[in-house]
Amino acid sequence: MAAGRKFWLNLAGLAVFVLVPAVAGLADKPFLVSLFTRFAVYAIAAVSLDLVLGYGALVSFGHAAFFALGGYVVGIVAFHTADGSGLLGWAGTQQALILWPLAIAVCALAGLVIGFLSLRTSGVQFIMITLAFAQMVYFLLVGLMVYGGDDGLAIAQRNTLPGIDLGHPVVYYYLCVALLAAWVFLCRRIVGSRFGMALRSLKQNRRRSIALGLAPLRYQLTAFVVSAAGAGLAGVLWANYALFVSPDMTTWQKSGELMAMVILGGIGSIFGPVLGAIAFIGLEQMLTGWTEHWMLLMGPALVLVVLFGRRGLYGLLVPERDHG
Amino acid sequence: MAEPPRLELRGLRKAFGAVRVTHDVDLALRAGEVHALIGPNGAGKTTLISQIGGELMPDGGRILLDGHDITRLPAHRRAAAGLARSFQISQIYPEFDVEDNVAMAVQALAPGGLNMWRGARHDARLRTPARAALERVGLAARRQVRAGELAHGEKRQLELAMALALGTSTLLLDEPMAGMSIEESRRMAALLAGLKGRYSILLVEHDMDVVFALADRVTVLVYGEAICTGTPEEVRADARVRAAYLGDG
Repeated sequence: MAAGRKFWLNLAGLAVFVLVPAVAGLADKPFLVSLFTRFAVYAIAAVSLDLVLGYGALVSFGHAAFFALGGYVVGIVAFHTADGSGLLGWAGTQQALILWPLAIAVCALAGLVIGFLSLRTSGVQFIMITLAFAQMVYFLLVGLMVYGGDDGLAIAQRNTLPGIDLGHPVVYYYLCVALLAAWVFLCRRIVGSRFGMALRSLKQNRRRSIALGLAPLRYQLTAFVVSAAGAGLAGVLWANYALFVSPDMTTWQKSGELMAMVILGGIGSIFGPVLGAIAFIGLEQMLTGWTEHWMLLMGPALVLVVLFGRRGLYGLLVPERDHG
Repeated sequence: MAEPPRLELRGLRKAFGAVRVTHDVDLALRAGEVHALIGPNGAGKTTLISQIGGELMPDGGRILLDGHDITRLPAHRRAAAGLARSFQISQIYPEFDVEDNVAMAVQALAPGGLNMWRGARHDARLRTPARAALERVGLAARRQVRAGELAHGEKRQLELAMALALGTSTLLLDEPMAGMSIEESRRMAALLAGLKGRYSILLVEHDMDVVFALADRVTVLVYGEAICTGTPEEVRADARVRAAYLGDG
């Protein structure tokens, strides 16, 4: 019964995403496609964060670093490819099929290093050390004057895919939605797998898991790397959407926004953070129309959701416990 | 005994500051026996178990499991070396259902722990052994209940099921009957009696009736020191034990 409800809710969500360009065309509101592209991109980042936050109880306050790194790989390669200078002897490329996996690999590697060092700690120290790493990335990017420093880096055009025109807003939108759907599906597989069960077991009772023979670092670090790669993918898509990257992508506020999306939508559910990203960005969009002090209204909204539904908006829609 | 001991402690020492909590303890757990570890409160029983389990590192001495030195082996590698344990305070996964709890024990030592694709909740290779273990401890009917909602005694049963599902033959059971009702502990005792011979069990227990009914041998720990090891009859007759323990118990 409840499983059925969940299925229909997810299907309805997908249908909304699919129908947006048609509705935007009929209503002559092209900005809807742009808005929903942002929803999809941030949803990928939020879902990635949920993997470690919701299933590993690893409160990473630095996930924006991976978002920024993914974006900057796209920006930096575009920069060198455009002016013909090349990068370390490589002429560069605009091919998404080469560049995007490269960017994701860079983020996974960064996740491996940052995760390995951060996972020596736990609790509040883990929060602070992930935050510290993100701040390091922030100041690194600010200091890279050749790539615009504080001002960021504009990107001339979107990366290319053979046979698909990513420059077209609707085409690009559908690509983002497809990647979001694939990522959500993959993450659901992960949390239901042996690996996912081991990760969740460590969250609930680390002592018991160790006594059973599980090495915590092995599972938590793997989850951290996968999560970093997902956040990196979101950064890649953002750079291609906005055609601009800046150190703002890795501020602690951005990490906090990602966390707010996860909590708002429903922590530890994978689907919830998609809803959370939509609600957060949608509210931000609406409220900034009224006042620049939109956080004054967003704050109480977050508090209400946390108070009345510990499992977030998704938990309000699907009351049954989600066993994943 | 021709067969070497399953688990052996040799001159194990541990001190917290000036307090010697484990004082040159020698102990041999023979294959197939139930070996009870008793002693008054504060005798250092749980500290000793924690050292065998790897949560505490001893200051000196050796721990041998099936002849291999595991003294410095990290806690998470002791299960693979052949040691399963239950805790004095139930250590379970409250958000998983009962069967998931036991399935975690099954998968812990199985290959494929990093498999991210295949669903674990319908994997017969995990579920069949998990159900078998639940059957053995009498929790089969409760397998779909969230473990956090179990009654206290049921959690103790679940702990035992997880230890059994690990598939090792040496069990370290820290007060498996702690906090149980008389009826529950009577059933647990019957359960443990049924394991005799197939498992080598080091059992920490307070209930003297259980100890004397169940144990093949008993070691008495007083102030960190193993003052006496022998059959229940021998231990009962030992003057030092009567003075130190049974007298004021």
